[in-house]
Amino acid sequence: MPANLSRHFTTAFWPTLFTVLGLVVWEVTVRTMGIRSIILPPPSEIFETMVARYDLLLDHLWPSLYLTVLGFLFAVVGGILVAIVITYSEVIRLGFYPVIVVSQVIPKIAIAPLFVVWFGTGTLSSLLLAFLISFFPMTINSAMGFQSVDEDIQRMARTFMGTRWQIFWKIRMPNALPYIFGGMKISITLAIIGVIVAEFVASQEGIGYLIKLAGGLLDTPLMMAAITVLSIAGLALYWLIAVAESRAIYWQPPAEAIGGGG
Amino acid sequence: MTTIAASRAVNVPEPDQARVRAPALQVAAVRKVYDQLEAIREVTLDVADGEFVSVLGPSGCGKSTLLMMIAGLVDITGGQIVINGTRVRGPRREVGVVFQSPVLLPWRTVMQNVMFPVELLRLPRAEYKARALDLLRMAKIDDFVDMLPRQLSGGMRQRAAICRALVHNPSILLMDEPFSALDAITRDEMAIELLRIWQAHRKTVLFVTHSIREAVLLSDRVLVMDRRPATIIEELTIEIPRPRHIAMTEDESFNRLVRHLRRAIETSHAG
Repeated sequence: MPANLSRHFTTAFWPTLFTVLGLVVWEVTVRTMGIRSIILPPPSEIFETMVARYDLLLDHLWPSLYLTVLGFLFAVVGGILVAIVITYSEVIRLGFYPVIVVSQVIPKIAIAPLFVVWFGTGTLSSLLLAFLISFFPMTINSAMGFQSVDEDIQRMARTFMGTRWQIFWKIRMPNALPYIFGGMKISITLAIIGVIVAEFVASQEGIGYLIKLAGGLLDTPLMMAAITVLSIAGLALYWLIAVAESRAIYWQPPAEAIGGGG
Repeated sequence: MTTIAASRAVNVPEPDQARVRAPALQVAAVRKVYDQLEAIREVTLDVADGEFVSVLGPSGCGKSTLLMMIAGLVDITGGQIVINGTRVRGPRREVGVVFQSPVLLPWRTVMQNVMFPVELLRLPRAEYKARALDLLRMAKIDDFVDMLPRQLSGGMRQRAAICRALVHNPSILLMDEPFSALDAITRDEMAIELLRIWQAHRKTVLFVTHSIREAVLLSDRVLVMDRRPATIIEELTIEIPRPRHIAMTEDESFNRLVRHLRRAIETSHAG
């Protein structure tokens, strides 16, 4: 444990140092050059804004966070289910899967206004955009995980007359887990983007709405405070998944863990 | 049955003596053609109950394909394969297979890997767990039961794979170059370990290898397979007494057999 702790300390030391250094340079530059805070507020002012208006920020953070997590969870469940269908149905794999892959060229963000037309300016649009944008990497990663079972392992299981069901639960599922977690890490960041964009386009609440509102009021410190809060929340969500991953995929040494998946 | 087994332990049977018993495995005029490419041309062989037979051949001669066909993993184009009196149409419970690589599941501990066949075949867990422990003890890896495959050396992984192939008590053990990925020293060690386990369990073994030395050291009988045409070109009974030791590989009689087999392979290549 102490060795582990010191290793964490050394890996965290340099990035922390550089971050602090960057903030100091930012603060000093803004102050000495007299840059107005409407253009670029110093970090200290952003921090002050976060403290002073924390209730406003939190009021808008919760709906965004809630929709992000909900859209993400739907994407995880939906993505895994579709990946299973892709794995077991040749028709779907040969017919539908390429369509999914090619449909990736559509920038999902461009669909946001269309969603507003279809589903209105409420939370449904945000939720659906978060789902849609994070669903694809989930599906593709999971499908790859279910299908990438080593041929020798499949043969081995066949010699013991494993049923499809047994092979799915005892081999394909654990084999896919690293890929699924890789997909989750991509999806959670995308889900945030989906919700924020939907809130930009049409919403009366949420961090995306707050950023747009503050922009309209030329309240740059509030904008940057909102962005900071959003980033912290995103980082926390990502970290939760990473922790769950290291627990779930106990058989992989940390260095070998699949980061981005596909 | 017991008298035969007892006499075998002391003395290696004459070839015709082995033939008297019903063969555990019969391969009759088996052919395999992949997309008009002849992988195997007419292989016929018998393995008696409790016999250790090696199929020796250069890589690409179809010996692994032959083994996979016996395991019921690959279809045959012609002929037939019979195990214990019934024709092979797919994987069978009485067969255990050891592959070239250990093929352990990385997320399972050694014990969980060895118990994998018991789960798939839905055999009583408690009963077979005791058997698994016995096997692991015999393979000298019982201290590592709770470790993951990545924490083991290559030799230990292959030992676990052998235990897994034996846990459901198959009557035939098929081994596809199981030691080819190991270093030379570990390889010799494993061969002797395998013989020890075989001596205790008396399975029928069909062992595929490209090592002449390994084939002679392990087997009651060696079949030489050649490519183009992929068929058996030579059969040799190994009359070295059991139990066998590494030291025997230095004996003149051992080396005479090795030379004989080498010449058989070379002649066929020259011609």
